[in-house]
Amino acid sequence: MTAQQLFIEPFSFGFMQRGALSVVLLSITGGLLGPILILRRLALMGDALSHSLLPGIAFAYLLFGANLLALFLGGLFAGLITAAASALLSRMTRVKEDAAFGSLFVIFFAVGIALISAMKTRVDFMQFLFGNVLAVGSRDLALAGFACVLTAAVFGIFHRSVFLETFDPIFFRATGGRGGLTHVGLLCLVALNLVAALQAMGVVLALGLFLLPAVTAYLWCDRLRHLLAVSVAVALIGSLLGILLSYHANVPSGAGIVLTLGAGFILSAIGSPRHGVLVRLRANRGEVRRILHTPE
Amino acid sequence: MTDATHSILRFREVTVSYGRHPALSHVSASIVCGSSTAILGPNGAGKSTFLRAILGWHPLQTGEIRIGDSHTHHLLPRLAYLPQRQAIDWDFPITVREVVEQGRYPSLRWFERFKQHDHECVDRALAELDIEALASRQIRMLSGGQQQRVFLARALAQGADIFLLDEPFAGLDLHATEELIHILRAWEAQGRTVLAAMHELPLARAHFRHALLLNTSVIACGQVDAVLTDANIDLAYRGGHCAHEDPLRSARTAHFPQ
Repeated sequence: MTAQQLFIEPFSFGFMQRGALSVVLLSITGGLLGPILILRRLALMGDALSHSLLPGIAFAYLLFGANLLALFLGGLFAGLITAAASALLSRMTRVKEDAAFGSLFVIFFAVGIALISAMKTRVDFMQFLFGNVLAVGSRDLALAGFACVLTAAVFGIFHRSVFLETFDPIFFRATGGRGGLTHVGLLCLVALNLVAALQAMGVVLALGLFLLPAVTAYLWCDRLRHLLAVSVAVALIGSLLGILLSYHANVPSGAGIVLTLGAGFILSAIGSPRHGVLVRLRANRGEVRRILHTPE
Repeated sequence: MTDATHSILRFREVTVSYGRHPALSHVSASIVCGSSTAILGPNGAGKSTFLRAILGWHPLQTGEIRIGDSHTHHLLPRLAYLPQRQAIDWDFPITVREVVEQGRYPSLRWFERFKQHDHECVDRALAELDIEALASRQIRMLSGGQQQRVFLARALAQGADIFLLDEPFAGLDLHATEELIHILRAWEAQGRTVLAAMHELPLARAHFRHALLLNTSVIACGQVDAVLTDANIDLAYRGGHCAHEDPLRSARTAHFPQ
């Protein structure tokens, strides 16, 4: 098989072009939001958030049928409620945010499952759970484009607030910043992007496109600017290779993307020159040798 | 006080409560301009609350806090607050210079870029705290004393003239403590106002000009020697009401003077 057949030919199909465009858009937002999520220690919360979209989608289906826009709005609404409610709970009770999020998302996920089983219809919910990038339509693309533009705009305009609130929320507040507003705003952006990623990646795997490029870049970069740039680049390369993998090997697209990004992450975790496993091991061994060979 | 001074911060009958428990009760105090003041008292005496009330984080049940003639929240740029150190994620991918640059953020609007003046402020702050050579280091690669100087430099870059330090000496070794005292004395000499919530009575006695002894209400306020008398210390740490209801806990956490 030539390089032409491997990399170029698949993209001659319309569905592959739409799929590629959709993951490119999602990679840009995911690459930007991911580092902020991991620096704020919200990685698991993003996961919780993605699960809590389910009841919103199910409820919207119950009311409006298989109207794509309604499904997306329903999911977005459920995600926003979870995000806002847990932020409020953690700020107004003694419950910490991870616990608040964890509790709310299981409740929401259970509600979603109950709603789906009550409907007794044969909707393809597998697609909502695991995604199908090859069935991306123009409405999905529009939503992904909107999410991408909005996220990029928020980062462009408010980058100083976002970075400062992430690094030192106390200082941010002491200089007149609105910490709670920034936090809830970021969670809303994450929810919006998760909904936009639904069709391509699915509820369960969407977060992989946000988190994996970010943790991979985190292993290589010691500057925030580099972290964001590398994260976006990794997301782009990984997701394009991922849909090629899904095309050639006939695996679901979400899984293909997460598998390529996952391989990049594992290799980085082992081989990163400053923060990887190998470097740590070698440093430890050098220390042991130094201690053993120190003359008494 | 016999010397002719004017006060920069005035507390009048300030009460702050968490739920039903007052953290500060009818506190009236004047902080002298261009001088260093140690805020002292047992744990739970309201030292941190005192500093945060100045920033406007707690609604005041009674009284008011003023800088000159203004309410403090109109003058946030003049206030620099240094929280306790453990709040920072030292693995954050950020360099010393970028942390100090954050001091300029509050004075910039959303679209504004760094101007020549901002860069100069950052340069001056780095130079004053002698961390120019460390400017491009990631913040984990610094000693405890250097880390603290980075955050002091950020406060300087902010252009503040009133510095609120929350337990700045906690976790510093002898050398770093001496460095910090040296810096604070230099600031005082330049007419900056320093308020430090702290536990170290001997340090306060030796290096601070004024002191405020708190145990929910004001025990004493004024020149450090006049405040830190045996009688006042006894009143703040042993007498008065117990800040924590649990007697075991208060016995374990109280700092008794030598």
